[in-house]
Amino acid sequence: MPNQNNTVLVIGSGVGGMKAAMDLSEAGRDVVLIDQAASIGGLMTRLDRTFPTNNCDLCTIAPNLSENARDKHIEVLPLTQVSALQGQAGDFTATLTRAPRYIDMEKCTACGECHKAFPECVRFEPGLDHRAPTCMRYPQATPQAFSIDMEKCEDTAALVNACPAGAINPDDGERTEERQVGAVVLAIGAELFDPSGLENFGYGVYPDVVTGLEYERIMSASGPTGGELVRPSNGKPPQRVAWIQCVGSRGINREDVSYCSGVCCMYALKEAIVTKERFQDDIEATIFYMDMRTYGKDYELYYDRAKKTYGVRLERCRPHSIISDAASGQLTISYATDASSALTTEKFDMVVLSTGFRVTENACQLARVLGIELNEHNFARTQSFSPVATSRPGVYVCGVFESPKDIPETMMQASAAACLASKNLVPVAAGNGEAELPPERDVSGEEPRIGVFVCDCEQNIGGAVDVDALAAYAGKLPGVVLSQSAGHGCSREALEKIKAAIVEQNLNRVVIGGCSPRTHENLFQNTLREAGLNKYLVEMANIRDQDTWVHMNYPEMAMTKAKDLIRMAVAGVAQAQALKDNTLPMNKDVLVLGGGVSGMNAALELADQGHRVYLAEQAGHLGGMALAVRKTLEGDDVPSYMADLIEKVSQHALIEVITQAIVVDHFGMPGMYKTGFQIGPRMYYRQIEHGATVLATGATHNVPRAYSLGEHAAVTTQIELDSVIEDQPERVKDWGQLVMIQCVGSRVPENPNCSRICCQSAIKNALRALDLNPDMRVFILYRDMRTYGFSEDYYAEARRRGVIFVRYETDTPPEVTPDGDKVKIAFADPIIGRKLAVTADCLALSTGMAVNEEATEDLATIFHLNRSLDGSFLEEHIKLRPTDLSIPGFFVAGSAHAPKNIKECIAQAQAAASRVLSMLSKDTINLGATVARVDPEKCATCLVCVRACPYGVPFINEDRYSEIDPAKCHGCGTCAAECPAKAIELTRFEDAPIMARLEGLLERSA
Amino acid sequence: MEQFEPTIVAFCCHYCAYTAADMAGSMRLVYPPNVKIIRVPCSGKVDTLHIMKALEKGADGVLVAGCLEGDCHFKTGNVKALQRVTYLQGYLEEIGIEAERVQMVTMSAGMGGRFARITTEFTEKIRELGPNPVNAGGSRLAAS
Repeated sequence: MPNQNNTVLVIGSGVGGMKAAMDLSEAGRDVVLIDQAASIGGLMTRLDRTFPTNNCDLCTIAPNLSENARDKHIEVLPLTQVSALQGQAGDFTATLTRAPRYIDMEKCTACGECHKAFPECVRFEPGLDHRAPTCMRYPQATPQAFSIDMEKCEDTAALVNACPAGAINPDDGERTEERQVGAVVLAIGAELFDPSGLENFGYGVYPDVVTGLEYERIMSASGPTGGELVRPSNGKPPQRVAWIQCVGSRGINREDVSYCSGVCCMYALKEAIVTKERFQDDIEATIFYMDMRTYGKDYELYYDRAKKTYGVRLERCRPHSIISDAASGQLTISYATDASSALTTEKFDMVVLSTGFRVTENACQLARVLGIELNEHNFARTQSFSPVATSRPGVYVCGVFESPKDIPETMMQASAAACLASKNLVPVAAGNGEAELPPERDVSGEEPRIGVFVCDCEQNIGGAVDVDALAAYAGKLPGVVLSQSAGHGCSREALEKIKAAIVEQNLNRVVIGGCSPRTHENLFQNTLREAGLNKYLVEMANIRDQDTWVHMNYPEMAMTKAKDLIRMAVAGVAQAQALKDNTLPMNKDVLVLGGGVSGMNAALELADQGHRVYLAEQAGHLGGMALAVRKTLEGDDVPSYMADLIEKVSQHALIEVITQAIVVDHFGMPGMYKTGFQIGPRMYYRQIEHGATVLATGATHNVPRAYSLGEHAAVTTQIELDSVIEDQPERVKDWGQLVMIQCVGSRVPENPNCSRICCQSAIKNALRALDLNPDMRVFILYRDMRTYGFSEDYYAEARRRGVIFVRYETDTPPEVTPDGDKVKIAFADPIIGRKLAVTADCLALSTGMAVNEEATEDLATIFHLNRSLDGSFLEEHIKLRPTDLSIPGFFVAGSAHAPKNIKECIAQAQAAASRVLSMLSKDTINLGATVARVDPEKCATCLVCVRACPYGVPFINEDRYSEIDPAKCHGCGTCAAECPAKAIELTRFEDAPIMARLEGLLERSA
Repeated sequence: MEQFEPTIVAFCCHYCAYTAADMAGSMRLVYPPNVKIIRVPCSGKVDTLHIMKALEKGADGVLVAGCLEGDCHFKTGNVKALQRVTYLQGYLEEIGIEAERVQMVTMSAGMGGRFARITTEFTEKIRELGPNPVNAGGSRLAAS
């Protein structure tokens, strides 16, 4: 019986829920992961590709899905909802209601026979295909089973009979159970807006008008057209595709919401780029938009690529309507631009509506059940300095249900929620609950005694090949001492039989003829280990996915190929060696670099959960950039928050604050690092030992030489204006005109990225200045207003209160000339098409942030970390691991990663703490067994491996041969393939077993 | 005369090509049984020696299948693999083996259809080329 208060309930199994569950389980916590859907994965599994890398989503997420399902700490309950939550943080009782699946998961083999009987109903294609009785959302659905909508099934008996495994149970019913949990993480996301209520766009009437998500499905290899881009109306490829942004968002009309959904600009750009990538000049892509909101890390570069490299056409306007031309079947969009107030019309073959996020009524109902407050848009209410805590203690929120956001930000919040949730649980016990295993038998020097087990997987394998005959064939292969059919090899019963056979027959190698090692290798490895064999002595012959499924109608071919595959596996496994996973002892102390908001929050969370933290700051005091900020956009008082935070950090028994500390050297491996500092005015040297490192080194206030900044007293930055408003209100009251210029020093060739925070800062200061002086005229000269998410409401308020927004282009920037103690600002107004001039008492420049080039360069060099093009630290994976850095044991938080506001910095700081907690919960660090090893005798010191390694790991050591640190090796084997002296072997994939497989395949029998 | 059935070895990277092959299976796409897959962590792991060994032992064609360009799980392994295959093709011509017998291909993990199409086309091409000249001397027998 596990300790109940070690359990977290995670509601929603999209990427956010999965990430929270994985962080918690890695940290030794138990997780109940529920989802009302039949399989886990959420919205991301329906996407074709993700921005800004245009990777295939399925490949990015599939490893997470299978990892999630097999993790022993995670219990996945699909088709389940919470119907009550009693108790308080640390001691909740959750009532879970499970809807019937009508399929017995123990019996279901995901063979797809039921789908064959009901062929129209397997995939999930929102809006493009109706949903019918059986539904498996996407090919890698986990749990790998189908579900049935009994109400839509007309012939139950036929459906039951369609299943060869007898897994369909029409009498399945709803079940309710209670669970004791210490905390709850809400990751339920949101739905996408359904535009069928908007008559002007004809969605639902014209088949070639689709939503962004539907376009994803059409482009997706697992979608309804198998990835062929065709018009739904006539099945022909379109030549002109248009995107319309902000459909249902940023509006005041019926059906509209006022907030910005934050992701649609990027997904429209992505869809347009992918379309252009695939069809180049054969297709025209046009995006109709209001403001292009590419405010995330490196997103501006993506926007530039869309325009310059791919030729995506961008038209700034909000189209009025779409009308279908009956004769040509084309769609006519009418719109007005800045250049001309008359309506322009243009014809397209397909129109994509970029729809944003909406909270469902279901979610509101769940909020009532959980007793948490919602904000005015029905998203979960959080606070500026507490980004993932809901109004009910012990209940946390992450992802889109907190506010509209993209995947990386969801991942940060998910880790943050995991961090806070674990604070409500009992401390993790040492050893992390590892099961007792028998000692490993030493098989070195033994002749191979191979056992072959051939699965039939019901009809999946058995339907195409004679499993007994195949087993008999395998029994005659060299080294095989036992060969038998195994039924469902992955069932508990069969695994017990395999274990018993290993012991009884004294086997020292095993071959499983079955499905893919991608999904099941782990299971059979564990089985071997439990039977006292090294887990690397098993090999799987993939006779299902790569043989019987492919050649099911050609049994002879299938049989011949199955024999080939088994023979290759037997030959390969005979060469397999027992391998040890590389492990290291873990140092549980943490080094946090940077004493700003991010660093202090990360340090506090870690110290609160029992880790000793060294918090090193380069300056003489804690606080960082936030010390200069007075108010947040929402009006929260920053100085009092900072004072409280600094107090807590300084007083914490487990935190040692070291100021005036400069990193000078660094050694060691993940889990046992040593970092040297020069400290204080005397620069004395001190070395700190730590297991993990959080980089929260921030950015700097950008101070570009532009618009007389620093030369004229009336010209300030937004940060300075923030203080003036707070400290010298009488000055503001005297002003007649206040002008702000956006994107000063950002989105320019020297600093191509968007600083993200400046639009909200400008709106914040404009509104506060107007509070003091309502008669003042405020002008904001901008390029695109990027008030994403709920900050759009403040933008709308600023417009309502008379702030004049004038757009400028980079080729005609505003001109600033001194005018006594005032400044004159001349600019072109694109609407009236004339040049205007305003004399301002104050010109506030939105200068944003810049990378602290010196600090990041030094640290990246010392720690061997990668940097992004802009010089900030480069995360391990831009979508799924935004807080992890490329070197294990290094994490990043706050503006050292990319510009962020305070709330976002706190979220990432808590996320970094969560990643550290996961890593440090183990007593050792497992580095896997697949690493490159150098034979010093053979090494000719030719440097080929040094150049070949994608990670820069090999180096020439003092003894003049190449050395590869197993702690840093990623195990790709490129060096082994390149090495001309064959001095490098990749363990598990040595030359010998590969050659043996070739011999096995190509041996000729006379 | 019976149709020539070539033996083809496909070195597939774990993260993309091998997964795509599994996908092809789960989509029940048919491709020739002549293709036998050897799983490697990365296409960058495929040694010229492995390819040459396959040809020497009588394989009629060799595919090296990796992730799409720019999507390699190990950053640049597929680029290295392509360089190696290109180099090897030139060398094969010199010793009288058709360069087309060795080919580098790329795909993402979701592209089951592409895997099936590529293997079908490649098998056809090799069938047209006929048996590997290394085999031509001896009488060729089917594997039992």
